[in-house]
Amino acid sequence: MEKQEVKKLIVKYNEGLADASEVAVIEKAIERGEIELNQLNDFNQLINSETPSPSLELSNRFYTMLAEEKKEKRKFSFTLPSLDVLLPRFALMACVLVAGFGLGYLFQKPSQLQSITELNKQVSELKEMMMLSLLEKESPTERLKAVNLTNDMDQASQKVTAALLQTLNMDENVNVRLAALEALKPYVQDSKVREGLIRSIGIQQSPLVQMSLAELMAALHEKKSVNELKKLLKDSNVPKEVKKKINESIDVLI
Amino acid sequence: MEALSDNSLMIKVRDGDLDKLGLLFERYKKPLYGFFYGLTRERDLSEDLVQNTFMRILRYKHLFRGEGDFRAWMFHIARNVRHDHHRKDKVKLNDDLDNWKDRLGHHDIRSVQMENQEEHEMLLLAMARLSEEKREVLLLSKFEENKYSTIGKILGCTEEAVKVKVFRALQDLKKIYHQLEKTM
Repeated sequence: MEKQEVKKLIVKYNEGLADASEVAVIEKAIERGEIELNQLNDFNQLINSETPSPSLELSNRFYTMLAEEKKEKRKFSFTLPSLDVLLPRFALMACVLVAGFGLGYLFQKPSQLQSITELNKQVSELKEMMMLSLLEKESPTERLKAVNLTNDMDQASQKVTAALLQTLNMDENVNVRLAALEALKPYVQDSKVREGLIRSIGIQQSPLVQMSLAELMAALHEKKSVNELKKLLKDSNVPKEVKKKINESIDVLI
Repeated sequence: MEALSDNSLMIKVRDGDLDKLGLLFERYKKPLYGFFYGLTRERDLSEDLVQNTFMRILRYKHLFRGEGDFRAWMFHIARNVRHDHHRKDKVKLNDDLDNWKDRLGHHDIRSVQMENQEEHEMLLLAMARLSEEKREVLLLSKFEENKYSTIGKILGCTEEAVKVKVFRALQDLKKIYHQLEKTM
């Protein structure tokens, strides 16, 4: 329908002169969007007719109801927000939780490990100090304690093994020397300890220590010790039983 | 812009800030009252229905998604409130003219201050004689401020269909109005 025709039809309608067929045409035009309702005077009159107002009582009742609702809410502070609100919150909480665990795992665990390692190191150092000071005690019992302290050490330092070798060679008490030899056994893989043990063979005067060393050399298949052991065989102060044991060991080694 | 701010207010209400409902009440108490009054012609009942609508808004605030138009959501609730009341009390829709006259007279004394009071009363009478469906679509046009897409959502039809419904209701209203003019 042309615009001019539409305009004419609206004018006719607004003057109250449109017949039934023209009203039907207007209805079609409204459906097609060619005529807007606000172009019709009777519609505008209806829309603009006075709207009654509610009384103040309505406001009073509403605000009383709202106050009661707020009081109830305070009693039961838990309200269930909609899923739209809950889901992002839960997601955020989950992310924070996971991130927290992740960061905790990444940072806290190494630091814990680090502190435990640090603590262990300090304990070992303390034990070493204690052992070294006990070795200088006059009482053989104290020195035995000192040697036995190395059993509690996971890995003794070179300072400790050197002190044990020193004890093995120099301690006046045979039991302490034997204990030092036992304490050195876990460290026989260390070449310095092995060399120390071989050198110790010629130094030892005690038959028990000599025999123990000969057994150890055989067990370790330490061929370098053969010369030192042979020197003992030539020594007239070495008892026969010991020489027999040394010969057995030399047989194993050769 | 207002629809956005309506939505943001309602979202705050939904999330627990109940005071914000007061702002929405101030904005919409009059349109809602007009809507209910247009349907029932009873002042006290209309106020009750406005109150019930806001009570339902509070009760079902968690269902407000914030995506659509608040006004459309509110009028949905208002229509349900009206229908529920209608079912409960079985209000007579086609009261005889004398009853309507009485009510209009009562209303007139209390608040209406118009020059052409008779015409206005006649219009209200004609409205009262319209079918419920037609009366509702005219009232929604008035109180939804010609937002036909929103009315379409409320009534479950297209914007064009709403316009045609309004036009047809308007033609019926005019017929009734002219008939009343002849009889009075």
